Formats: sequence, C-alpha cells, structure tokens
Amino acid sequence: MQTRRMLLATTLALGVAMPAAAQKQAPPPVGPPKDFHLPQKREFTLPNGMAVTLVPFGRVPKVAVILTVEAGRINERPDQTGLSSVTAALMQEGTRTRTAAQLAEDVAGMGGSLDVSSNNELTTVGGEVLSEHAARMVRLVADVARNPQLPASELPRIKADQVRDLSIQKSQPQAIALDRFRSILYDDHPYGRPFPNEDALGGFTVAQVRAFHAANFGARRAHLYVAGVFDGPATEAAVRHAFRGWAAGRPQSRPVPKPKAVRSLTLIDRPNAPQSTIVMGLPVPDPVESDYVALRVTDGLLGGTFGSRITTNIRERKGYSYAPYSTVTNFWHQSYWSEQADVTTSETGNSLKEIFGEIDRLRKKAPAERELAGIERNLAGIFTVQNSSRNGIIGQLAFADVQGLPDSYLTGYVKRLLAVTPEQVRSMAERHLAPDRMTIVVVGDKKTVEKQVAPYRAAAVP
Amino acid sequence: MVGRALPFAAALALPAAGNVPAVAQQPPTQPPPAAFTIPIDYYKLPNGLKVVLSRDTTTPTVVVAVYYNIGFRNEPRDRTGFAHLFEHLMFQGSRNLGKLEFSNLVQQNGGLLNGSTRFDFTNYFEVLPSNALQTILWAEADRMRGLAIDTSNLNNQRDVVKNEVRVNVLNQPYGGFPWIDLPMRANTNWYNAHNFYGDLKDLDAATLDDATSFFRTYYAPNNAALVVTGDFDPARVRPWVQQYFGPIRPAPQPPKPDLTEPGQTKERRFSQVDSLAPRPAIGLAYHVPDRYTPEWYAFGLLDQILGQGRDSRFYDELVRKRGLTGDVSAGINSGLGSMYDYNGPMLWEVTAFHDADKPADSLITAFDAAIEPLRTRPLAPEELARAVTKLRSSFYSEIEQFSGFGRANLLASFALFDDDPGRINRLESEFAKITPETVLETARTYLAPTNRTILTIVPAGPGAAARDSSGQAPGASR
Repeated sequence: MQTRRMLLATTLALGVAMPAAAQKQAPPPVGPPKDFHLPQKREFTLPNGMAVTLVPFGRVPKVAVILTVEAGRINERPDQTGLSSVTAALMQEGTRTRTAAQLAEDVAGMGGSLDVSSNNELTTVGGEVLSEHAARMVRLVADVARNPQLPASELPRIKADQVRDLSIQKSQPQAIALDRFRSILYDDHPYGRPFPNEDALGGFTVAQVRAFHAANFGARRAHLYVAGVFDGPATEAAVRHAFRGWAAGRPQSRPVPKPKAVRSLTLIDRPNAPQSTIVMGLPVPDPVESDYVALRVTDGLLGGTFGSRITTNIRERKGYSYAPYSTVTNFWHQSYWSEQADVTTSETGNSLKEIFGEIDRLRKKAPAERELAGIERNLAGIFTVQNSSRNGIIGQLAFADVQGLPDSYLTGYVKRLLAVTPEQVRSMAERHLAPDRMTIVVVGDKKTVEKQVAPYRAAAVP
Repeated sequence: MVGRALPFAAALALPAAGNVPAVAQQPPTQPPPAAFTIPIDYYKLPNGLKVVLSRDTTTPTVVVAVYYNIGFRNEPRDRTGFAHLFEHLMFQGSRNLGKLEFSNLVQQNGGLLNGSTRFDFTNYFEVLPSNALQTILWAEADRMRGLAIDTSNLNNQRDVVKNEVRVNVLNQPYGGFPWIDLPMRANTNWYNAHNFYGDLKDLDAATLDDATSFFRTYYAPNNAALVVTGDFDPARVRPWVQQYFGPIRPAPQPPKPDLTEPGQTKERRFSQVDSLAPRPAIGLAYHVPDRYTPEWYAFGLLDQILGQGRDSRFYDELVRKRGLTGDVSAGINSGLGSMYDYNGPMLWEVTAFHDADKPADSLITAFDAAIEPLRTRPLAPEELARAVTKLRSSFYSEIEQFSGFGRANLLASFALFDDDPGRINRLESEFAKITPETVLETARTYLAPTNRTILTIVPAGPGAAARDSSGQAPGASR
C-alpha cells in the first residue's frame, strides 16, 4: 500500500508540470545571523624589513607556513619569460646544507610538503605541516628561501619537465584562448605572456637563474604568514632567529602595462571541436580604485555566480554551456573583466548574442532590489568561506598586501558590498563593461563557426 | 569529478564587517595536547533515514549533506550516465521549490551548494551560515519527498550534461584519462567497467519515466544518510530533522547487484590514441584489498610510501634519478574521491606524463624498480613511521576540505556503507597498528604485476612526436 501511494505521488510530481503555485509551502524563515569575525592576527616587522603575520585559527592540529617574496613574472625581462618559474622549481633541489632528498624527507616527517611556486607578482615558499612542527617548518622555509643550492646538474631535467607541462597546458582550448586574449590586451608586457615560449625556456642557464634569485629575493620584499594551530611564542622565536641577518635585498621596479580596450574578434581554428571556447572582456578598475567593490558586485550579478544572469540564460534556459562564468582577474594595480564559456559548436553565435544581450540589458536598466540583495548576500557568503581555511586566510591577506590595501579593505569588504545599490550596478556596467571596447577570442571549429561569429567582429552601432 | 563544477556560492546575511584588530593583544593559542576527536551523534528515524550530527563551532557555518546510496556503478545497463543526469534533475524543482529556486534559496542566504555522482553514492550538500540551517533542512526534505520536473527541464539538463562531457572529456587532451579510461580497462564486471559519464546516445534515450522510476527506487529515506556538521544548536536540530524528514515514506530496496571483480591472474596492457594530446602518458591500475582488512590499511601506507610527496619512492626513482617525468600521481579511488568514500572493488591508480623519446617500457621498468624492494624486504621502521605521519596529516586535510564538507563526506560514507560513522575516530589508530610484516605481505600479493592493468596514451594531437625532451623541434637550431 505504502509503495503504491509513493509511486503515484512521484509519478504525478515528475510527469506533470506543477499547477499554479497556490498550494506551495513557503520555506521556514532564516534565523538572525550570528556575528562573523575575521580571525585575529599578530603582526610585526623584523629589523631587516621582513613582515610577519601570525593567525591562530581552527582546531585541526595543522599549520600553514607560507613565505611570499615579490619575485614573479612581472620581474622578468622580455627575453626571460618563464625564468621565475624555473627559479622556483630549482629552489626545491636542495639548500647549502640539505640535499633535495633530505629536504623532502624532513618535511614529510612533519606530515607535510614544502613547495616553491611563482605567479605574476609573487614566489611562495612553504606548505602545511602538523602543528607540533611549526617552528621546524619555519626554519626549513627560511633555509630554502635564503640558501638554495640552485644546482646546475638538475636544470636540464627541470626545464624538460616545464616544457612538457607547457605543451600539455597549451593543448587545452581554454589555455589557447587565454593566451591569445592576454596577448591582445597586454601585448609585450609580462601580463600579456601567460605561457613562456618553449624554446626560450629550454635555453635558460643556471647563471640566469642565480642572477634572478639574487636580484629578487630579500627580506624587504618578503612576508611570512603562519596560520592554523601552533605554539605562538615558540613560533615567533623561530621566525626571529631563522630570518635574522637575511639581507634586505634590492628594490624592484615593475613595468606599468598599457592595456588595450578596442573591440576585436579573433577566431582560432580547432578543427572539428565539439565546443567553442569563448573568452571575452576588457580592462576594468583595479582593487585600489573606488569603483572596484561595486564592480565585483556587478560581475556577480552578470556572470560571476551560479544564479547570475548569463549563467541562468545560457546554461539553465538554453543549455548551451555547462559552467560559464565571468570574473575580475587582478594583477598588481591592474585588472580585467572576462566572461569565459565553452559552448556547443552550433550555438557559438547564439551564445555571443545572449551574452551581449545580458550585458546590454544591465547597462540600460538597474536590477531589481531583490535580485541584487540576493547576489550581495551570495558574495558575502563566498567571502566568509574564503576566510574559513588556513590557506584561504593567507590568500586574502597576501592579496591585500600585494595590492597595498589597508586592513580596512578586508574588514570593511562585506559592509561595502552590501551597500552597493541597483543604480550603481547599472552605472558600473555602463561605464566599465562597454561592448565596443571588448576583446573576443573564440577557439573552435572554424568552418562551422566562422559565419556564426562574423556579426560580432565589430560592435553593433546603436 | 562527475558533478556540477559550479562557480557558486551564495549569500550570507552577514552583520556589517568583521572586527580585525591590526595587532591582536593575545598571544596565539597553544596546540591541543590530545588526539583530535570528532564528536558524533548518530541515530535513525523510523523511516530508516540515517542521521549524523557533528558539532564544531570554529566558524558560524554549518554543512548539510544528503547522501543517497546509489552511485553510477548501479545505473541501468542501457542508460549509462543516468545516475549523473539524474543528479542534475534534483536541482530542477521539487514540490515547493521551482526550477532555480533551490539554488537561489541557498545562495541568497549566503550558502554554497553542489552535488556529485560517484561510484557508490550521489550526494547533495550545502555550506551555509548557521542561521539558515532550518530553511535548508526543509528544502532538502522537500526534494527527498518528490520532484516536480517536466520535459523541458529534462531536455535542458540533458544539453547541459552533454556540454559537461564535451568540456571535460571530448574537447580536452587526456579527457578521460585516467579517471574514466582506467576503470573501464582494469575492471571486467560491467558495473565497475562501463562509461559512467554516459554515452551521448544513452543520454538521448533517457525519459521522464526513467527518472520517475529511478527516484522512486533509490531516493527513499531508507536508502539515504543526512549529515549536519558545524555550529548548530543540538537541542533544535533533532526536532527539525524529525519534522521535515520524519513523514517521508520508505520504499523497498531491490537486491544489490553483485559488484565482485574476479581475481586478476595476468598483467593486461592496453594502448589508446588521443587525437588532442601532445605527449604520451601512462597509467597503472592495481586492484586493492577489501576495505578495513589489515591489508587495506597497509595498502594506504604503501600509497604514501610509493606515491605521495617528494620523499616517495616513485618520485625518487622516476623524477629525481631517471628524469622520466616531472611528477607521478597516485591514489586509491583518486579520480573520484579517496580511499574512504567508496563501497566495492576499487583501484589504486598511478599516472605519469612523459616524452616521446622515453618509451613506456622505460617508465614501467622504473616503477618496478621502486616497487620490487617493497615485495622482498620489510620496511625500515623509520620509513613506516613517516608514512603513518603523512597519512595522518593527509587525513586531517581531507576532513577539513571545503569548509568542513570533507568531514561530512566521511561521516556520510561510513554511515551509509557501514552503519558506523564512529569509524572516523578509529582510522588513525588502525593505521598505527600496521607492522612492516603486514606491509611486506600486502606488497607481495597486491603489488604483483599480475594484479595490474597498464594503459598507455599515444599522442596524436598538434605537436605530438615533434619534440623530444629537450623541448627542441628536430632539426631546430639552438
């Protein structure tokens, strides 16, 4: 009896569209929110200029020890693209007192790993270990940052590995699209070269690696973060001892990009591809500019969240794409907005039409109060989750540090985003997301797609 | 991951801003002296729903996870990919929440959500500010009670899933490698060896009736577990769970299919061409011991010793000594979970990408050079101790994953498969009991070449075979 009734109920529910919503129950109301505080931290600067931030957080007995050094792609000369990442990899091949194998065993014995990696602005040295080893990990991180052996013997292998990784990466349509998009926006600035040239990479010498390390690593360009469960006084003592006497290092100069904001459409052939990969966007205000937070909210409403307009349109209504998204990508005092979507080949033109349609709609008409409030709370939630893990906390602090933003940027972030108004969002879209300034790159099956995208080569004349 | 890699997140009715003093006055706290223990309150509703509550007040957030004991292994034979397609349909509307209303309810209240389909379960979960807990329990119960979807929802999500397969597999180099390809080659029982992402033809054939019968059979409370972790009030959660989930009726369950893999007696080798890939790759799959046997724990430690970190034997042999690859990946159930969240035969998968001038055989020789000593001599106690330490640390990382979702994932798996969520607190001590002798015996039996399948990927994409390991095109001048 029970099962028959169950069968009937589900058949009806599944097979028939719901009649008018009159009989629907409303969800029980959400309770009053509890206070959320970013975790407390202790900050100090060593006599040599190195900044230190200690953040006690959580209950799980682990700790993250991460040193950031301002040494990245931005510090490479034009003929050196990729040198920062080769340097980072070679730094893991032992120090003056530890072989690479000893280093690996030491940190594994602490229940962790020590990685060195680089991005556009920073090289990071560190990792997570079990809490009781916090002080030992600090000493190990200091040794790798200050005294890397940078052995010539391992360089050919490191380069071969990076060339292989690069060729695999560049066989992915998303990477192909990004590479072209960035080179159009930033030309020969380091931000315009997300991937090194394979032949140039193969040509780096150990002298170049050592010179890059000497020129860019030093206490004044470094910031140590410790987050998690750890013995505060013992860790602080270890920090002061391990980094004592590290030279301040040389100051850096960073070339200022001159981004291009001109409408263009580039089609890259990927014969018979079942999808087209679209990347489209333009330079926008960066995190130190006053429009930034309102722009993030605008991005969240337009394409940056699952409930956003573009995603609802091309995924949940049209089914053109699985995981389209927009985002604001930040470099040092430089940002761009982009929408990325992998869409069914036959719907490439229609996808562009819908995306531009959503941009235009937002530029003309402010969103409803209710829609915007939902997006703002959504973004506030993301911010909270970002601040709920050791590495997330360090990532937020390091971001603010790289950008030169004050503490109030993070502490006031949620308040500022909740204050953004519908008219502000419309005006952000109008001022900063103009279709006639957008770069569009499509990687797809040229013979099928070319005609579809032709109408989008130039902006429509209003 | 078979699931919705949604860039989501959601909303949070946050009070103004947090207060972060520039310099805290108090020194950092001391590490806890004792072993790390997870609190567990486990019970069942009269309709059979398993409920696990685990409190943690680190942040004012909660995790709600609903796990159904149906994974892609068990989907109907002529409907490959159906379990995953159905997962998408669970977001398309229930009795009281229309299309998009479920995700909006979560996100606009500051939560994040997702769902995924794995070998042995399909899960739905939310990470939320704790004040939204009651609302989301109501919403999860609403979709357990019944769906309200129509043909247009089905067609829409069929298109979305096809685009998911295209972006993750068909238009990607190494798209199915190793996570789909290796189980299909290494297993012989259809349940373990079919294409669980789905043939596009089978996806086209799926109907609303299929969805009805799938839901009726498998999405019943007696085939599910509900886990709530985080900052909740224990006195209030139990009544809410009873109020919303208590009235849902159970359904009789069909017998479980026989998932057994016949023992493998001979090494098997396969090769497949990838028309998008620029470099060769190799994958090895070994059948692992049954869960919770001493050999299974020992295998978890062998995974640490051989495959995890720069101190591992594979890294030392293949990367550092022989320069054959830049990295070796290894793990039990590594493509779609971990060694703790499955229920049936499983593989240990090992993969590496390499260059065309280093034949696959040279990598196999190197793998064997790393493995064979473990099959002939007992481990030094220090190396075993290091493996236990690494494992403990990776276990902590797993339970912390994604704001505490990792903890809910293990509690749900242990409740669903073993009726024993308390296992989460005993794993550490079980690993610590393993001796060098057990490791040796396990390696002898399970790391034998006869217990493995090897799959090599032959690259045929742009740039394939045009370059050797120096990165130079043949004949190019330096």
